[in-house]
Amino acid sequence: MSVATEADAAPVKGAAPNQDVVWHHRHLLDVDVVTWPEIDLIMRTTDEMKGILARPIRKVPALNGRRVTTLFYEASTRTRVSFETAARNLSADVVSVATATSSVTKGESLVDTVRTLEALGAEILVMRHSVSGAPYLAAEIFGGHVLNGGDGWHAHPTQALLDLYTMRQHLPGGDLRGRKVAIVGDILHSRVARSNIWSLTAAGADLWLCGPATLLRGMDRWATAWSGGAVPGHGRFHVTSDVEAALRDADVVMALRIQRERMQGGLLPSLREYAARFGLNAERVSLAKPEAIVMHPGPMNEGVEIAPDVAISGRAVITEQVANGVAVRMALLYLLAGAHETAHAGEAGR
Amino acid sequence: MSPKASDAAVGPKVGETVERFELEKAWLVDPVSGREGPGEVVVIDGILESVVWLEGAEAAGITAEGVVVAPGFFDLHAHFREPGFEDAETVATGVAAAAHGGYTTVALMPNTSPALDEPGVLERIRSASRASGSPVEVLAFGAVSVGRAGEQLSAMGELADAGVIGYSDDGAPVRTPKLLRSALLYAGMLGLPVVEHAEDLELTANAEANEGYVASILGLQGWPTAAEVSAVSRDLAVLEDALRDEPRARLHLTHLSTAASLELVRRARAAGLPVTCDVTPHHLAFADEWIAGARRWSWEALAADGTSRDPWTDGALTAPPYNPALRVNPPLRTPADAAACLAALLDGTASAVVTDHAPHTVVDKEVEFGRASNGISGIETALGVVLALVDAGKLPLGRAIAALTTGPAGVVACWPTAAATPAARKRGLTEGEPADLVVFDRADRWQVTPESLRSKGKNSPLLGRELSGRVLITIAGGRLAYEDPQAGDDEP
Repeated sequence: MSVATEADAAPVKGAAPNQDVVWHHRHLLDVDVVTWPEIDLIMRTTDEMKGILARPIRKVPALNGRRVTTLFYEASTRTRVSFETAARNLSADVVSVATATSSVTKGESLVDTVRTLEALGAEILVMRHSVSGAPYLAAEIFGGHVLNGGDGWHAHPTQALLDLYTMRQHLPGGDLRGRKVAIVGDILHSRVARSNIWSLTAAGADLWLCGPATLLRGMDRWATAWSGGAVPGHGRFHVTSDVEAALRDADVVMALRIQRERMQGGLLPSLREYAARFGLNAERVSLAKPEAIVMHPGPMNEGVEIAPDVAISGRAVITEQVANGVAVRMALLYLLAGAHETAHAGEAGR
Repeated sequence: MSPKASDAAVGPKVGETVERFELEKAWLVDPVSGREGPGEVVVIDGILESVVWLEGAEAAGITAEGVVVAPGFFDLHAHFREPGFEDAETVATGVAAAAHGGYTTVALMPNTSPALDEPGVLERIRSASRASGSPVEVLAFGAVSVGRAGEQLSAMGELADAGVIGYSDDGAPVRTPKLLRSALLYAGMLGLPVVEHAEDLELTANAEANEGYVASILGLQGWPTAAEVSAVSRDLAVLEDALRDEPRARLHLTHLSTAASLELVRRARAAGLPVTCDVTPHHLAFADEWIAGARRWSWEALAADGTSRDPWTDGALTAPPYNPALRVNPPLRTPADAAACLAALLDGTASAVVTDHAPHTVVDKEVEFGRASNGISGIETALGVVLALVDAGKLPLGRAIAALTTGPAGVVACWPTAAATPAARKRGLTEGEPADLVVFDRADRWQVTPESLRSKGKNSPLLGRELSGRVLITIAGGRLAYEDPQAGDDEP
């Protein structure tokens, strides 16, 4: 995954990079191989897309005639609609494949499905899959671009990027360096958390991951391995079950969804107990800084990981996240489609 | 310095008696006598007529880094998939692959369909072996339970009469401690072992990769060390209990993969329990970081203080991640666990290297990582992987050969009934006996490709890689099992 690229010379985490970085990734499978200057390029491109979305007619011809296919092996409304809206805003032709109605239910393999979609003309494949790493398999055989819309527990790069964009909008100077970000919830099963680890440690944030011990399994080993600031371009982060410690003086508070299956799996006694000990209620959120923002990648279980009054409070930026999601996805489709023609250095399989 | 069949142009075909084979100036390794050095071998009419150890001027220039002659290898753990999964492997393709890997004897696991839980299935395998024409000796383990379902004991006595060398529900552990106790007692009465795949299935439900740093980053469900350690603890406790009633009860733990479980076996052996174990080439030489895209050997991933180096830090990620060929049970572990496998081999805790050759079809393997079948097609690459340990100075050549020959034979010799069969015979370079040997060239590297593998299973994580030790010829029981297609071509 993190094969070194020439842009790896990110000098200082989170610093303002130079402006002449070009996009050279053929696929976007995770943010781990995206360097800080490249992330900054995505953010600047998203700014432009936000400008388009502010117009009365939210449509530009940038991807006119380009074919975007969404292939979702897992139920998702907001992510799929967000990608398809983004693609249509750029005038791309959109084909939507829902696996419940496709040959996948007849046992067609991922490899065959991807080959078929390519033969049908797909150029950019937006993929959601319940198995970690599945988009890497697709990227190995697909002749176009693969954009990961979430794979298993592994990665959800567009979510991490829209989260980062939203945080930058609300932090002075758009600078996350030294800013405390607390993510509370089911870290173990969360692709959102994993992608956010890469992007937020690249941004220089003071990242805290928090949840019950059963939903943090293995994450401490990751945090320990990075405690020396080992991985170039990424800072350390914290893992804790102490929700007060995680939230105290935070600039950003993010709740992650708790799924009912976790009770059947013996990982949690009850949703009630989770809400009582880890749920983001007004009292807990008051531990964070007064100006702190509250985020959630959705869909929310109100009353479980987030109290209803917190979710609709003035601190909550949850609907902004959704709106920014369209702009970030427009930016990525635009960059991947090679709108910057000269930018393609071609990185096979990445 | 390639081997010189006396009449290469019209040499024997696979299965035919080797009428005359002479090899001058090679490095001989005889793990029975513990001797190795320059020498010559002559095979006449299938018999190893002479083994000459050279000294002085005659030995000049012959090193252990060139052509090596060793006794034929013995794989105590392989899956040839017949009957039931012939699209993945057959006995015929399996023995061809084995011979290409230098093996002259293989012991097959019973997880076929139907399972080898009664003698009829064994007869089917034997008949396929005979039909293959290959002289590679095919042994088999019977299932512990009917259909490997973990409920009733298989036809253990009939299977013993038919010649199985032990019992295993491999692919899965013997389901309950109660059944394991019965199996150890009954098998012990028959003079045979239970070979246990040690895994706590509750802890590994849906698990994908060794629990730890790599699995956490990749978002793969963790396969905890405790799943193997707790199973080994259970097995040892049950063995100790069974021995009070049946002193001939024997336990063999196969493909151990963690430092902690090997330590349990080390202590149990020191306490005198009749338990043996083995390790695989992939658990010795690969580590979980390969799933992230690393391809360095496990010992290259070990820091000086015994911890793992970070492949994300030191630029070790050179291949695409999530290669399903790396999905295996037990999973690839940390570099420290791999080092523990090697230490166990060196101090005798582990007696043998076994391949756990597990061929799979493309349909079962070229899928999403978490949906891929477990297993590595490894019987043809085992020698090359073990030689990588030798090349790196981690394992003396003589010990490597012993782990592939006298090691597994010595394990079988611990099982009273099997000890009386040819499977337990001493595997040395002994004059006057049917020639059973392999000749390989450590200086001749070969590339692992789908075409170079004789196995139907192309599910090797080493595809594209070069290994040292090209096998030039394998002779089993005096008959030709394999000959390198290029052998003799480059003679002047």
